[in-house]
Amino acid sequence: MPVITLRYDKLKALIKGDVSTKELVNKIPYLGITLEEVADEYMKVEYNPNRPDFSTSYGVARSLNGLLGFEKGAPSYSINKGGVELIVEESTQEVRPFVVSLVGKGLILSDELIEEMISMQEDLHDGIGRHRRKMSIGIHNFDVLTPPITYTTVPPDFKFVPLGQKEEMNMEEILRETDVGKEYGHILSGFDRYPLLTDSLGNVLSFPPIINGELTRLTPSTRNLFIEITATDLGTAEDALAILAATLNDSGAQLESVKVSLGNSIRITPDMSFQKMKVDVKLANDLLGLKLTDQEVSESLEKSRISVTSEDERLIALIPRYRVDILHQVDLVEEIAYGYGFEKFTPTLLTSKKAGKPDETLYLMGLAREAMIGLGHIEVMNYNLVSRRVLHELTNRKPRAIIKVENPKSIECELLRDALFPSLLMVLSRNLHEEYPQRIFEISKVFNRDARASTGVKEVYHLATAISHSTANYTEAKSSLGSLLLQAFNLKIDTTPTHHPSFIPGRVAMVRSTKCNLGIIGEIAPSILENFRLRNPVSVFEVDLNKIVDIVKRKV
Amino acid sequence: MKPLHSLERKLLSSLAMDGGGLLEDVALKADMTIDQARRAVEWLRSKGIVEVGTTTRYKIEIGDEGRRAVEHGLPERRMVEVLKKLGGEAELHELSKAFDSSKEFSAAFGHARAKGWIGTVSIGDKVFVKILTPDQISPEESLLKKFIAKKELFLDELPEEEKKAVGRLIKRPDYFMKRPVKTIDIMLTELGRKTAETIKEVKEIDSLTPELIISGRWREHRLRPFDVEAVAPTIYPGKKHPLQRFIDEVREAFISLGFEEIVGPVIQPAFWNFDALFVPQDHPARDMQDTFYISKIKEAKIGSQDLIERVSRVHIDGGDTGSRGWGYDWRLDEAKRLVLRTHTTAVTVKYLADNKVSEAKVFSIDKVFRNEKLDTKHLAELHQIEGIVVGRKVTLRDLMGVLNEFYKILGLKKVKFWPTYFPYTEPSLQSIVYVEGFGWMELCGMGIFRPEVALPLGVKNPVLAWGGGLERLLMTKLHIEDIRELYENNLDWLRKVPLCL
Repeated sequence: MPVITLRYDKLKALIKGDVSTKELVNKIPYLGITLEEVADEYMKVEYNPNRPDFSTSYGVARSLNGLLGFEKGAPSYSINKGGVELIVEESTQEVRPFVVSLVGKGLILSDELIEEMISMQEDLHDGIGRHRRKMSIGIHNFDVLTPPITYTTVPPDFKFVPLGQKEEMNMEEILRETDVGKEYGHILSGFDRYPLLTDSLGNVLSFPPIINGELTRLTPSTRNLFIEITATDLGTAEDALAILAATLNDSGAQLESVKVSLGNSIRITPDMSFQKMKVDVKLANDLLGLKLTDQEVSESLEKSRISVTSEDERLIALIPRYRVDILHQVDLVEEIAYGYGFEKFTPTLLTSKKAGKPDETLYLMGLAREAMIGLGHIEVMNYNLVSRRVLHELTNRKPRAIIKVENPKSIECELLRDALFPSLLMVLSRNLHEEYPQRIFEISKVFNRDARASTGVKEVYHLATAISHSTANYTEAKSSLGSLLLQAFNLKIDTTPTHHPSFIPGRVAMVRSTKCNLGIIGEIAPSILENFRLRNPVSVFEVDLNKIVDIVKRKV
Repeated sequence: MKPLHSLERKLLSSLAMDGGGLLEDVALKADMTIDQARRAVEWLRSKGIVEVGTTTRYKIEIGDEGRRAVEHGLPERRMVEVLKKLGGEAELHELSKAFDSSKEFSAAFGHARAKGWIGTVSIGDKVFVKILTPDQISPEESLLKKFIAKKELFLDELPEEEKKAVGRLIKRPDYFMKRPVKTIDIMLTELGRKTAETIKEVKEIDSLTPELIISGRWREHRLRPFDVEAVAPTIYPGKKHPLQRFIDEVREAFISLGFEEIVGPVIQPAFWNFDALFVPQDHPARDMQDTFYISKIKEAKIGSQDLIERVSRVHIDGGDTGSRGWGYDWRLDEAKRLVLRTHTTAVTVKYLADNKVSEAKVFSIDKVFRNEKLDTKHLAELHQIEGIVVGRKVTLRDLMGVLNEFYKILGLKKVKFWPTYFPYTEPSLQSIVYVEGFGWMELCGMGIFRPEVALPLGVKNPVLAWGGGLERLLMTKLHIEDIRELYENNLDWLRKVPLCL
């Protein structure tokens, strides 16, 4: 989640009343913002992705002013009708169809403000812009431009001087050679013409969503800004523009609209009109467990910077355009809770009518755990995701019908294990120098392909144990297994000879209970012990607990 | 006086007879191994029963030439013997022929003359050798005799004359080696003598045997008192993994609050893990970077056509839930991709859809997966706890109350609630708890399911939900700073970590 730095002096200058640093710090969590670091001059805070309007200190101050009672209701914005036209050419529709824009005039751009704007731009790109794929923003020095502006497409060999370069580069070179080109170029892959914004003299504003032109670079002497937002989704572009408009307005700029035209269709941006939504007071009281009157609900919403009017005696919320997170009346319910103050909520006690209970299968498996502990075994817990090396190579098991994760960050978590004992051998291997005898066990899920399962994978619990000491052998393992099944489930088993690549031939058996194969038991082959660098004999058994529990349930 | 161990008693009885001696001798007499004797001596010394002194002695070992001299006599003796055979006198050249080599001859000649056993007379250009003192036995020879039966002797066991003989013979190659040896001398102290008296009197035995009990012969013996302060060997019992113990503790907490446990598969179609929870298909959490996808095995079955339709509509335009929706083209194939569940809520919502409950209190404690690089703070698999309350009139304040109770059972008494955001709950809260010895930490997130989540599942009553990771809280209890340690399975740690946290 994005982190921003809030300087106390800057924040206090934006707060419309007296407030101490301590009050500011204490109030921040009640905006739904997490404190990361509280320093002498500033605090670092993390905001949630549903509130991109918190990407600057202006946005945070706007909400704080409401919560602290210095301002209420939705802020209003005056937008002068500007003379700038943005002409959208038909060819852009296939690549990146939407563009919105505004002009902000009379700004005092300090280095600090430039920094904050760039940080906001990056946060919006990464968040609602989905790393520029869905939406990207260009901020330009308006005074070097000669409107109208054109949104067009050009072939890859088109040349201009991109931001931060001295020489012209063609668009292929920009994608190939610049950092931003390499990072975001994939968004344009497959297109033979690339989007471009130019002014009427052919000066390049930007090559969205990659890079601006050098010409329109911001400096502390820039006073007037031209903002364009290109997107694959119009709603997202408008969301971002509204957040930028509110921020520019709060930092002292006069907003001017831009006329965006595509053929005969004309759109005036930015559109800062309110979203209207009915307020369901009963729903609010029901969900929050409060008994607020209409009046109290209105006041709470106003503290959350949402205006309230009434139509036919019902409350209507007027939601400012930069609030992109209000989708449903429950979102207003939460705004009411914010305004009311989460710190005022007192917990209530639910009484229980029914007794609780554990999952029956897990409960029965717990009995197996109890029996294993009684037999002196120590429980271990391993990961379900394991490496090919442990699961197949070191144990000499044949990889059949593996279940592989597509994109692991580490080869240690490549496969979902279909057996537990390889992990147990790994545990013994890591504990070579600990005192012997070592007797360990694990109860965990294993994964096997099964066409009958809805996902194609059957998940069952296994119990596996490994016994290691200088005289560990098949007989001890069989005694443990027999004891476990008898003590935990009153179940008798047979062991019939079988073969297994991990075990000593002639000292490995299938564990069976009346027609049903439950698992395997035996002594690990010395070649496998060598693979794990083990120096003591190891005997092992592994059984399917789900099958055992099924047998037990049938019996009962 | 501490009770004596059987080894101590054995040694002491033996020492009582001659008051002390070298460790080796004492062990031999007491019929003990050197090791046993050494241990017993050490214990007795610490009790003041014996004194122990160490001395350096010199051991004389015989070499190959020495051995020859033992068997065949010293070369000078052989010289005398040869001369005797030749009548007590011989010409030098003739004499030399009686020896194997000129080297041997010159050694025999030299030593015999030096000892004054032979003398020479020159007649013309011939030299004659004759015996002077025929049968005098030298100290060297009496020394060598002692080696007939032994390979080694201590220097200090020899009379003065023979000690000097050692000094002389050692100069001849391969006769003797002289090595310093540390020896341990044991002597009974005054206390030791008294103690030895007392143990002679009573017949003590070490173990009470079934035979003694049955026969009643135990009456004839006294059972030796043990050193009850002595260290006993450590025993490591079988036990649960601490994480499993904690899981069971949390399970008990849920059950005591009237919750029923539900379980479900780890592998889920993205539909249940994300779509049904109103997480849009382009949400960053659905990236391969964060979530494990598994290679397609077969066309996943999600649920009824009707359900899929309702869920897709809330994404597209909110359907009939009163929501605006996310406004994008929802795709079924994306919802069918298989993921390793990133939260147990995937199982919970499936449970709600399958049972269409109007009232329920359920919980789960199970594994969830994130595509993380493992480090001190991150695992790719961890356990999540989750609780759900469905009811006609349940509220956010009830949810806070349930959390308070739940935490109280786990021993966490101070709880704060802060607003936060989750895509599938509204309102949403974060609970912050005070953990003794650690401080405030964020624990469970919570909220009321959004109508976009609950309504398509057919659940009309509010659904209170909370969930969070289990490992982090356990780490504070176990004082572990690296989360990976929980899954290291270090036997030393597992054997020693106390059950009581």
